[in-house]
Amino acid sequence: MPVGITRFDDRAPEESGALLHETHGAPRLHLVIRPHQSLTPPGFVWFIGLTAGLMALPLLMALGRPVLWGLLPFCLAAIAAIWWALKRSWQDRALREDLVIWQGWMRLTHKAPRKAAQIWQANPCWVRLRRIPKGAKVPDYLTLKAEGREVEIGAFLSPGKRRDLQTLLERELWLATASRP
Amino acid sequence: MADAATTGHDHEKRSFFARWFMSTNHKDIGILYLFTAGAVGLISVAFTVYMRMELMQPGVQFMCAEGARFLGGFSGEECTPNGHLWNVMITYHGILMMFFVVIPALFGGFGNYFMPLMIGAPDMAFPRLNNLSYWMYVAGVSLGVASMLAPGGNGQLGSGVGWVLYAPLSTLEGGVSMDFAIFAVHVSGASSILGAINIITTFLNMRAPGMTLHKTPLFPWSIFITAWLILLSLPVLAGAITMLLTDRNFGTGFFNPELGGDPLLYQHLLWFFGHPEVYMIILPGFGIISHVIATFSRKPIFGYLPMVYAMVAIGALGFVVWAHHMYTSGLTLNQQAYFMIATMVIAVPTGIKVFSWIATMWQGSITFETPMLFAIGFLFVFTIGGVTGIVLSQAGIDRVYHDTYYVVAHFHYVMSLGAVFALFAGIYYWIGKMSGRQYPEFWGKVHFWIFFIGANVTFFPQHFLGRQGMPRRYIDYPDAFALWNYVSSIGAFISFASFLLFIGIVFYTIRYGKKIETNAYWGDHAETLEWTLPNPPPEHTFEELPTPDMWDKQPQH
Repeated sequence: MPVGITRFDDRAPEESGALLHETHGAPRLHLVIRPHQSLTPPGFVWFIGLTAGLMALPLLMALGRPVLWGLLPFCLAAIAAIWWALKRSWQDRALREDLVIWQGWMRLTHKAPRKAAQIWQANPCWVRLRRIPKGAKVPDYLTLKAEGREVEIGAFLSPGKRRDLQTLLERELWLATASRP
Repeated sequence: MADAATTGHDHEKRSFFARWFMSTNHKDIGILYLFTAGAVGLISVAFTVYMRMELMQPGVQFMCAEGARFLGGFSGEECTPNGHLWNVMITYHGILMMFFVVIPALFGGFGNYFMPLMIGAPDMAFPRLNNLSYWMYVAGVSLGVASMLAPGGNGQLGSGVGWVLYAPLSTLEGGVSMDFAIFAVHVSGASSILGAINIITTFLNMRAPGMTLHKTPLFPWSIFITAWLILLSLPVLAGAITMLLTDRNFGTGFFNPELGGDPLLYQHLLWFFGHPEVYMIILPGFGIISHVIATFSRKPIFGYLPMVYAMVAIGALGFVVWAHHMYTSGLTLNQQAYFMIATMVIAVPTGIKVFSWIATMWQGSITFETPMLFAIGFLFVFTIGGVTGIVLSQAGIDRVYHDTYYVVAHFHYVMSLGAVFALFAGIYYWIGKMSGRQYPEFWGKVHFWIFFIGANVTFFPQHFLGRQGMPRRYIDYPDAFALWNYVSSIGAFISFASFLLFIGIVFYTIRYGKKIETNAYWGDHAETLEWTLPNPPPEHTFEELPTPDMWDKQPQH
């Protein structure tokens, strides 16, 4: 699921423990945006398991003969290589954007693989949400602007998903403006 | 970059060198694979023409110890047979075709180009690894050609041990040629394994949202299964030939009985790789044929899910039947019985595929454009090859046919004709997509008919030669076999002419072919994702992942 939405009820603040803000209290909303990946962890287990099982077949044939030692390094190297490749592919797409909205404050964290997290935060009251239908990096490019800095959100989603995100954010920014209870 | 970049980013046009030599784009690499495989294929086909010239008449006219002759041989001067040259020809025809032509073209070429497009992935999972795979393949080809020209056995150039490199022939062959050949197979094997890892990762982790395994089109499935077979069997080959190398050069005795080794074990290891290898050659062809038949029958493919599982079953069975290549090597009766039954079982999934293709055509609105002609030609020749395969799977009958021309006819019908008909079907089906220009339909059909007739005239008489008992891998034969050898040679020349015509068609299409404006130029029943793109597709495709409404059109999903 590329966009995960968690809404926090005011009456259950203990669930929002880690996201508790020192001045703004419990968050209203936590949005996690991730790129699409089609390989699931059970899928990884199945694939490696089947590969290793089938790979055992020629090794059984050579069991107890010196030839085993000629085959084993190559077979193990092949399994190690596909293992590494699948893990690396997950990691390469381990892009993640976390948007947390409190009453009167919001924070966007952009975490790319093998890079330090980039953080942007502002008061939702002053945030300008902008969708650029054409000509930008991607169609229906979605940006947030405040405190003199414009940042992108969900650039790796499909255009339709970004339009949905815009609708959601417009409403949430309005609700999170501090003057409203 | 979290900071917004509100202006679009455009690439400057890359130079020829940067585009084709340092390419990390899966489409460019796919085209490189296709052209390189085509060039190596031409070399390898030239060998067959030379071999068929030699076999056209009883006696030796061309491959003489006095020096190789070409057209001069027809006048029939004095000639001492040069068996080494003959052996070199059959060896390198086999090695080049098996490792450097068919797999790179179908798996490397079409797999690279169309598998990511069909699953809606922006590129391969590891684009730079993809570039490495391609250049290792080129390095492997160079080593293979170098091996042919390096000092080898019998004080002549090249090795004449057969593509299977059986020990002890290969361990005793003189010169450095054999070592070059082993390195060539090593490098090409490494290239294939890296390519396979790339393709598996792409297929597993980069399918478009909503595209579950049971909704992925058949061609990506076939490429994935091929990649899996490569990953499982090539390490075994790499191990086996590494041991050959140490036996040759470092005095080890893995396959040397005097040192406690077992030459028969080499055969087991070779065929543990070798049998899946023939499925690696044919499976991508299955994928292509499925799409071509569905497109030109204007119907969705019949029995999508059985088609997928038939390919999975063929792949899995490919690993448990290897010793049917070795019935005459002294297997026990029980071993022979097992391998015979297991081999016959392969006819079940293969039958599912053939019948599903026929059922796809059934009551379809069929038109016979060139790709469809090649697809139907594929069904015809592949079924013939499959039927002789059932005959050969019988251990008793194999006693008679082993190492005769019947076997040659069988495996050329499935691999040479089957895979190559699928390859041509794919080229005619997609050349407009890849180049933006359409091939001349009339000449495509001429190519098909010349090739279909030529190939069948070449290989069908070889069944008769096998039945008469003519053994394979010999430079000469008694007069009794003269007639069908003559016919077969005529067929080979016709096929070669069709290949030259094909080369002409390809270059004509690229330069002067009619430009195609429609994305899905074969009509609405070509509905996989590559048909949503312009011809040729832009450099970057599916950077925005496609949505299910773009591809999910199969009613059985």
